[in-house]
Amino acid sequence: MPELSHPVVFTTTTPYPLPSQKFMIPASWKRYQLSQLVNKSLSLLKPVPFEFLVRGEILRTTLGEWCSEKGIGEEETLEIEYFESVMPPQKMSSLPHEEWVSAVTCQVPGYFLTAAYDGQIRVFDYSQKLVQTIPIHDAPATSLTVVGQASTDSDSFLIASASHDLTARITRTTLAEDGSGKPSAQTLASLHLHTAPIASIASTSSGSHLLTASWDNLIGVWDTIIPAADEVPVEDGPERKKRRKNADDNASKPKRKAPLSVLKSHTARVSKAIFAPASNSRAYSAGFDSTVRTWDVENAVCTDTITASSKPFLDIAVSHSGDFVLAASSDRTVTQYDVRSPTSSTSTAALSTATFLHPATPSCIALSPASSSTNSQQFITGAYDGVVRLWDARSARTAVTSFKVWEGQSHGRKVLSVDWAGGVAAVGGEGGVDVWKIGSAQVQN
Amino acid sequence: MATRAIPKNTKKRKAVVVEEDVPAESSFPQDVGLELGSEDEGGADAEGEESDDGEVDEFPEIDARSDSEGPVSDSEDEEDEEDEEEEDEEEDLSDDDEIHIFPKAKTIVSDITGQPKRVYPDIEPDYDSDSSTEDAPNRVGNVPMHWYDDLPHVGYDINGKKVLRPARGDELDKFLETVEDPDSWTTAFDKKAQSDKPLSPEELDLIRRLQEGENPDAAYDPYEPTIEWFTGKGKEEVMPLSGAPEPKRRWIPSKWEKQKVMKIVRAIRQGRIVPNKPKSEKPQFYSVWNDEPSTHPAPLPAPKPRLPTHAESYNPPEEYLPTEQERKDWEETDKEDRERDFLPQKYSALRLVPAYNQFIQERFSRQLDLYLAPRIQRKKLQIDPNSLIPKLPSPSSLKPFPVYKSLSVPHQKGRVRTVSVSPDGGWVASGDESGVCSLWEVLVGREVKRWKFDGKIGAVEWCPRTDVSFFVVGVEDQLHFVVPPNLPTIVLTATLATLCPATLPPQPATPSPVKWTSVAAASYSTDKPVLSVALPPSSGVPKQLTWHRRGDYLATVSGGEGQGGVWIHQISRRHSQAPFQKVKGVVQLVLFHPTRPHFFVATQRYIRIYNLAEQKLLKTLLSGIKWISSMDVHPMGDHLIVGGYDRKLCWFDLELSDKPYKVIRYHTRAIRSLHFHQTYPLFASSSDDGAIQIFHARVYNDLMTDPLIVPLKILRGHEVKEGLGVLSVKWCPRQPWLVSGGADGQVSVWCS
Repeated sequence: MPELSHPVVFTTTTPYPLPSQKFMIPASWKRYQLSQLVNKSLSLLKPVPFEFLVRGEILRTTLGEWCSEKGIGEEETLEIEYFESVMPPQKMSSLPHEEWVSAVTCQVPGYFLTAAYDGQIRVFDYSQKLVQTIPIHDAPATSLTVVGQASTDSDSFLIASASHDLTARITRTTLAEDGSGKPSAQTLASLHLHTAPIASIASTSSGSHLLTASWDNLIGVWDTIIPAADEVPVEDGPERKKRRKNADDNASKPKRKAPLSVLKSHTARVSKAIFAPASNSRAYSAGFDSTVRTWDVENAVCTDTITASSKPFLDIAVSHSGDFVLAASSDRTVTQYDVRSPTSSTSTAALSTATFLHPATPSCIALSPASSSTNSQQFITGAYDGVVRLWDARSARTAVTSFKVWEGQSHGRKVLSVDWAGGVAAVGGEGGVDVWKIGSAQVQN
Repeated sequence: MATRAIPKNTKKRKAVVVEEDVPAESSFPQDVGLELGSEDEGGADAEGEESDDGEVDEFPEIDARSDSEGPVSDSEDEEDEEDEEEEDEEEDLSDDDEIHIFPKAKTIVSDITGQPKRVYPDIEPDYDSDSSTEDAPNRVGNVPMHWYDDLPHVGYDINGKKVLRPARGDELDKFLETVEDPDSWTTAFDKKAQSDKPLSPEELDLIRRLQEGENPDAAYDPYEPTIEWFTGKGKEEVMPLSGAPEPKRRWIPSKWEKQKVMKIVRAIRQGRIVPNKPKSEKPQFYSVWNDEPSTHPAPLPAPKPRLPTHAESYNPPEEYLPTEQERKDWEETDKEDRERDFLPQKYSALRLVPAYNQFIQERFSRQLDLYLAPRIQRKKLQIDPNSLIPKLPSPSSLKPFPVYKSLSVPHQKGRVRTVSVSPDGGWVASGDESGVCSLWEVLVGREVKRWKFDGKIGAVEWCPRTDVSFFVVGVEDQLHFVVPPNLPTIVLTATLATLCPATLPPQPATPSPVKWTSVAAASYSTDKPVLSVALPPSSGVPKQLTWHRRGDYLATVSGGEGQGGVWIHQISRRHSQAPFQKVKGVVQLVLFHPTRPHFFVATQRYIRIYNLAEQKLLKTLLSGIKWISSMDVHPMGDHLIVGGYDRKLCWFDLELSDKPYKVIRYHTRAIRSLHFHQTYPLFASSSDDGAIQIFHARVYNDLMTDPLIVPLKILRGHEVKEGLGVLSVKWCPRQPWLVSGGADGQVSVWCS
């Protein structure tokens, strides 16, 4: 019996284009043979592994099996897009912490910022050196973000952190470049709204606004202008607070800041609120009431609600295009929701375009940093079993790759935060911070 | 035949020889000697045989009479008797002439066969023989005569004329008739004629014969003379089949007979057989009713056998014949399960029916019946096992419920005795036996604060109020009220105002043995308990703490002696009271009713419900549990679950009965803890077998519908240490999440 073959046209956005002609590919070929075909026909010096995308789905089986599964005839010409496949992640370094790390960010180029349960923000550079320790909060810090785009040319940037002490704070950090001075930090403002621990804080890409999500079902919207005077009076608390107020009654005392507006709709704890990419007016939030809400921030109204059934959401991330929202839930799933159309027209089931199943509670999501077309569909999730998984939104069945953090340590390995920038993924959690090289070699350059 | 023929032969021969000189009777043993001699001779002279043959030739001449006389000629007496009989017969015949109903038969010797035969006289065609002239006027036929009961006639004669009913007298006439008419007893009622008819002598004779049990036919002779066809005079076997000499046993006295006789003789001698035993005298007339009536029940009549049906016929109609499929099914089923033990078969004629092939088997089983051996009967339950399983909804349709362990928080040393989840569902306080109480976030599992107390922690419970936030830790003889850190100012102020008010409420008139001490609100710290309540000394570790839903009253149960160890503390008045003067048994647990002022008190075996407002006992629930370990009340307040150390879990419907509505025994070891979810229809039970079982428990407002209890999930993950498993389970409010503390020092959070 002659081997079945399939007509195929290859396309790519990578710098390795094949001539646009029809190939007859044997049906028994898998990714490996296709990748070899591309490498051979281009006679690449260094073999580059490729992943193949057939009709928006990553090819995991043989071509013939895929076709029979989809019911595609032999005659039909398939358009296969290929891109460089993800290299197996490699551990680069680890940044030990005494305390659990609740948040980690790589938004400042060359540095890792971590928020820990001792209320301190730590700044590490890429050589694993602890550059700075900023004691901002008395209570565990839960979330951390860099306000605006921190540029490499300036040493100082604003960070916003949220904490169990019911406040979020904006701190200006000045890093001492090339050892010219001591790194310094000054807490400029404290954000007073919430009456319960704040779960997360997020800023717009421009750095003009902040969103805080709290356990008290509220989302606060803040600007980042530091007021000249306290906007919120000091509450008549017990003696202790008064004493402390008197103690640091000086110019450097953080200004008490009130929110621009409050977004109220959630009926349970809000896990995270984020801005839509490149937008100051649109925000998404997810909470324990199993809803993903879309907000018009300027008018402080909830424009759209996606209600899932019994899915307390723990984290949310929005795709670079702003079309999809990924939400991690405590029922061990990460679900992708389509937020382009209002939910009144379609059912919730139709909106969940893909579900990524985890063996443990997924606690955090980080999207691929590159907004290029090849890797923009990828994201990593950290889970309580200490495994960080790299997913491609186009293949929900299995993770593209995964790696275990804090291998060989006795304590628990819950991952509480991941961040991914420039081919480097920082994973924060119970065992401190691990830094892994992840993503294709191209991006890493 | 031959052996029998020989003696007769010899006898006959002897008769031939001896007849002239010895006409007297000859006894058998005497003959024997002669016989032997004659036997010997018999072989020598064939001529004698020849002459015998000549005699045989004459055989047809012998008439029946001489034939019958032949065998009896040996004995003169018998011949006499025969003669007498003959005479009797003659008389009978003469008697029969008059009254015989049948025509008299004559016995003649047939010309052809030479056999006697019975010949009946010809019917003379005279008027008497013609029945048509007989007076049988009623030609109505064989119809029920009561058809004519109401009519004046009783039928129709041959001409179709009505035969009128003869006049009949009344009963008195009848009676007189019987008296006057000597022949009235021989009359019978003729139905056809509807009148009395005298019976003929033949009929009377017939009746007499039937009465006496004789053959009704007067001509029948039961004692007809024997006709010897092959034996007797002149019929001896000329050529014996065997020439063997007569065996000795033929002529020596039988040994066995002698033994038998001797046995009887011996029995007579020993008196076992009494020859002329006097018959037991039974009076000829006696009272029938003197004997006690039998108390035995009359023997049951045998059940009537079922009548055969068409299917059992040898030639059943076609529709009774089994089809191929039916035949196959029948052969496939077991013998015991067959509806009938045969298959209908069709034979065109009865002679084609084969022998019954189950004959041996059937006989064998009949023998078994007689032997009182029961036939083997296979006990087979015709119950579909699936039908026994109650119809329960599938667990997947009852989501959400906890299915996996999300995280676990270790306690370094000591078993975790108790866990409690804050009313907002965000925090867990867990206490272990080494006195460490830790506060941690449910979702992350990060310990935020830790307190160290002296002695074991027996119970930890959050105050259910939402405007204040604190929890109570029960340690040895003490209750500590602890405020968690990072509270909003309003809540903190309210909490401190509740726990350590600036102005203490007035002391009650009667001094209580319970001491309340609190720190000043100004100098409060989260590291130390804000308020401490010292229970009476030696009251032991509080086993249980339970809050009233309003958060003002707190009930504690201590392990120690005295007043049952039950105290109710009122926070606002800073006052403690012992609700019971005297309690029967050791109080295990107490609970506040969620809506009514009722108070549940569980002793070792019973649960008593008190009305606190009216100060009286409402109800006593009988759990049937040997030792109650845990108890929880449904948030609606009408249902109570009770767990015991004997592995049983009882569900009480308080409206229904004092007995458990349902007893569930799914755990393999003692039940340690039970908890109802406040909002979801769920409850959990934990046990020393290291497992937590999740149940769906839907309670209907409608009183007619029983609560629906569905086991959902067994959560395993806790290790059993020193025989102790999961000691405490608590639900997270608002989420279907479960927090469990185990003897292995782990506190786990189970998520849906």
